[in-house]
Amino acid sequence: MIKLTDIVVKFGDFEALHNINVHVKEGEFFTFLGPSGCGKTTTLRTITGFIEPVSGTVQMQGKDITHVPIEKRNIGIVFQSYALFPTMTVRDNIAFGLKIKKMKKDEIDRKVTTIARKVDLTDEQLAKAVSQLSGGQQQRVAIARALVTEPAIICMDEPLSNLDAKLRVNLRNELKKMQREFGITTIYVTHDQEEALTLSDRIAVFNKGYIEQIGKPNEVYNHSQTEFVANFIGDINKLGDEIIGKMSLAPGKAHYIRLERVGVRAAGEEKKTSGNAAEIPGVIESQEYYGLFIKYTIQAAGQTLKAVEKNDGINIYEPGDQVILRIDPADIMSY
Amino acid sequence: MQAPIKSTQKYGIGKLWGIFGGVLFIYLFLGFMVIPCFNTLTSVFRETDAAGNPDPFAVIRFFFAGNMPQFLLNSIKLAVCLVITVNVVGISIVLLTEYFDIKGAKILRLGYMTTLIYSGVALVTGYQFLYDPNGLMTKWLADVFPGINKQWFTGFNAVLFTMTFACTSNHALFLRNAIRGIDYNTVEAARNLGARPFKVLWKVVMPTLLPTLFSLTVMTFITGLCAMSAPTLLGYNSINPEIVRLAGSSVADEAFPQARAALLSVILAMCTIVLLLTLNHYESKGHYLSVSKTKAKLVKQKIQNPVANVLVHIYAYVLFIIYMTPVVMIILFSFQNWGNVRNKTLDFSSWTLSNYFGNQDYVYQNWKGKEMVSRGAISGVFGNEKTVGGIRLSFIMSAIAAALACVIVVVAVNYIFKHKKKKRGRVVEACMLFPWLLPTILICYSYRTFFNGNVFYVFGQNLYMKENVRILIVIAYMVVKLPFAVRMIKAAFYAIDEELEDAARNLGASQVVTFLRVKLPIVLPSVLAVFALNFNALFSEYDMGATFKKAEGTTYAMVIQSMCEDEGRNNVNMNASGRRCASTVFIMIISGLILYLVYGVGSRDLGERLAIRDRRKKKLQSIKQKLGFSAAAEGKLPAGDGGSSCE
Repeated sequence: MIKLTDIVVKFGDFEALHNINVHVKEGEFFTFLGPSGCGKTTTLRTITGFIEPVSGTVQMQGKDITHVPIEKRNIGIVFQSYALFPTMTVRDNIAFGLKIKKMKKDEIDRKVTTIARKVDLTDEQLAKAVSQLSGGQQQRVAIARALVTEPAIICMDEPLSNLDAKLRVNLRNELKKMQREFGITTIYVTHDQEEALTLSDRIAVFNKGYIEQIGKPNEVYNHSQTEFVANFIGDINKLGDEIIGKMSLAPGKAHYIRLERVGVRAAGEEKKTSGNAAEIPGVIESQEYYGLFIKYTIQAAGQTLKAVEKNDGINIYEPGDQVILRIDPADIMSY
Repeated sequence: MQAPIKSTQKYGIGKLWGIFGGVLFIYLFLGFMVIPCFNTLTSVFRETDAAGNPDPFAVIRFFFAGNMPQFLLNSIKLAVCLVITVNVVGISIVLLTEYFDIKGAKILRLGYMTTLIYSGVALVTGYQFLYDPNGLMTKWLADVFPGINKQWFTGFNAVLFTMTFACTSNHALFLRNAIRGIDYNTVEAARNLGARPFKVLWKVVMPTLLPTLFSLTVMTFITGLCAMSAPTLLGYNSINPEIVRLAGSSVADEAFPQARAALLSVILAMCTIVLLLTLNHYESKGHYLSVSKTKAKLVKQKIQNPVANVLVHIYAYVLFIIYMTPVVMIILFSFQNWGNVRNKTLDFSSWTLSNYFGNQDYVYQNWKGKEMVSRGAISGVFGNEKTVGGIRLSFIMSAIAAALACVIVVVAVNYIFKHKKKKRGRVVEACMLFPWLLPTILICYSYRTFFNGNVFYVFGQNLYMKENVRILIVIAYMVVKLPFAVRMIKAAFYAIDEELEDAARNLGASQVVTFLRVKLPIVLPSVLAVFALNFNALFSEYDMGATFKKAEGTTYAMVIQSMCEDEGRNNVNMNASGRRCASTVFIMIISGLILYLVYGVGSRDLGERLAIRDRRKKKLQSIKQKLGFSAAAEGKLPAGDGGSSCE
């Protein structure tokens, strides 16, 4: 569908992207994830044509579009700010691309009405000014405007970052639903790893202009290829020398374990499973209560470790409680 | 002209347009900015001595030998005093209406804001009408305080008094905005920590206003230095009136008057440049004057000390009376007959519209006792051919100049934004702001002297000759208004989210279409506002017209002014003063209307307009229901949409 080959982008002397290679497949929900300034938006803007790469090619459906002008690419975008035209009504905003294509008026009307239904915008809302809509509604207008021209691909640049937390979760689900319904290839840019994990078919993790890893959410999370990915995605414990020695892990390397992989049981309680897991005694330092789960900070083996336990309502530990931590070497990621 | 250069560069025509735009820009900048002003500068050094030998420093020597420095000192004295008085009054009016809880603040504000619609020569003559030795207020004050000096309103005192109240418009606009932008929580925090309102004002509020006050101070200083109408009309020997006098003088009467006028305007320009560079340096640190919309509302502070409260209220209303008296009196006198106006007595039993629409003959007896008739000697603003001619000329010249300035600035600013990180973007911007560095009078004086001769690059024409002077005035009007337009329209361009342009391009729009359909509609309200404000200022403009001083270029304000100087002479222009009152009322109405359109209607965005339309629709529907229209009939009535046409 869309293929970036050896893309290099420079801003003056600064090389923003170094040899980026990505291949997004037809119908895929593909996410560019990374901290700010890592090059994810730059990559997206290279695909849409706002930035011309110094070297490398952008191919869409087998055709080289590296030097095709922005307006001829047929790639839809939903911007971070939505970039809705403030001087036009919602209807005119959605119809803008169609009018540029000089479509007939009744056809434009039909298309706008159809897409508006699909994204849940009423006729009344279509007649309003953009500023009269809520953030969530504006986002739907932005999506409708991007989709109405029937682009081959849609790019979204942090489309949820301007919304409050609750709305963000709601719209996230809606976005995924819409993408499935329309079946459109989607490239999504975000710095929110939770968003990336829940939405994506595949994720590319960016860092300082390089792609660190491309994979399915599970691969990126459970089998992080680099130390950066392990640290950036999810919460993680870095194991100290004492545990490394005790478990005879390779010295000189960095070893990590995810919070939910650290087992916690009361000091007196019996061992449930056997195997070659290490058992480390510790003391609960503090507790964060989330309802669904509980996060513990534990002092053990001369370091601070964090662990997450499902809230079963029975085994809840208080600060000062003696516990046993269980670490399975199979869960450790080493770099 | 220059905007589409990049987009159509691939095509030959686009490139041609680009070159054409560039050449035109250079032609205009060199031809109407650099060369005429440079000519003025060099003319200072082109004098010859009695034997005809070049004597480049003759004027400089003359300057130091004669009384010329006095004019400069007078101007500086005025500027320094104005900085003090204007700041005191300006800060007062803003605090009284925005910070302290004063009864009737809304009405007070209207009074304090009258200078926005009532300024320049109209205001000066209004004050003169009230306060000169025979003035209404002077007479009244003399009745109340018999020992008063009736001559107090002359020269420096008169200029300072008038300009103090005339020059608070910028405070009313910018300082008000700054005070409204204050985070009210900081005031609450200070009060919570035990500070009294005046303490809060001094320690919390004032420091946040300082940057704005600094800018306003520099602007006031320049206004004082470049004052023209007040010193001219009230008789104060400052730089500008002297430049105009010298420009019109001849070698037969005094030593090299033109070169001296040039020297004075160059000195004035140097002062202005230094001040503006200071301001610019200061603003580049981020202290901008702005009139952005702010939502944080300051809750007004009650003055708890009852004595202080009463005193502040008295002060507020005394200021209100000073601001309002000329306005009210001008309106009242505009409806009085010529005898009453001349005697400065209000006759509440007789009113007339003759100052507006009249065209009556004046019957008198000559020295032989024979009855004579002076045709149309009592005529109104719209009944007098000369005045109507002046209005027409000023209207056309101002409209053309304001429109040209807007078009040029929109194209240039679009170019500046496209190349804002490149040198050429900055160069274009600097050129557009250049006229700001020069006093208006220098530009007009330079045009008057330089184009009064055949200039090869304007097709060998003499632009100062006969009707040509009108072209010259339009260009001068336009050039003088460019910097203001650039500042305002550039601010509007900043409000365009860069992603909007990306979005339009992404949806298939070319750069030209993006400019016309997305960017222009966004900046259009600001562009129209700039047009309206510039037109407003130019329409009643006096200083520039007076500098050109040419029969074919006699602007509206000049007509009114010159008729007053001839009032009653040879039994014509019997009601010139009354006509001037009516004319002032006319200008106030136009200015008020323009300000309402700009700041009231024009500042509404699409959402606000649609919301108003909806409300109007609903109101209409409820009225219809009350009147008993059935719901079915309502659908057929087009009245529901009627409201939209009024938007």
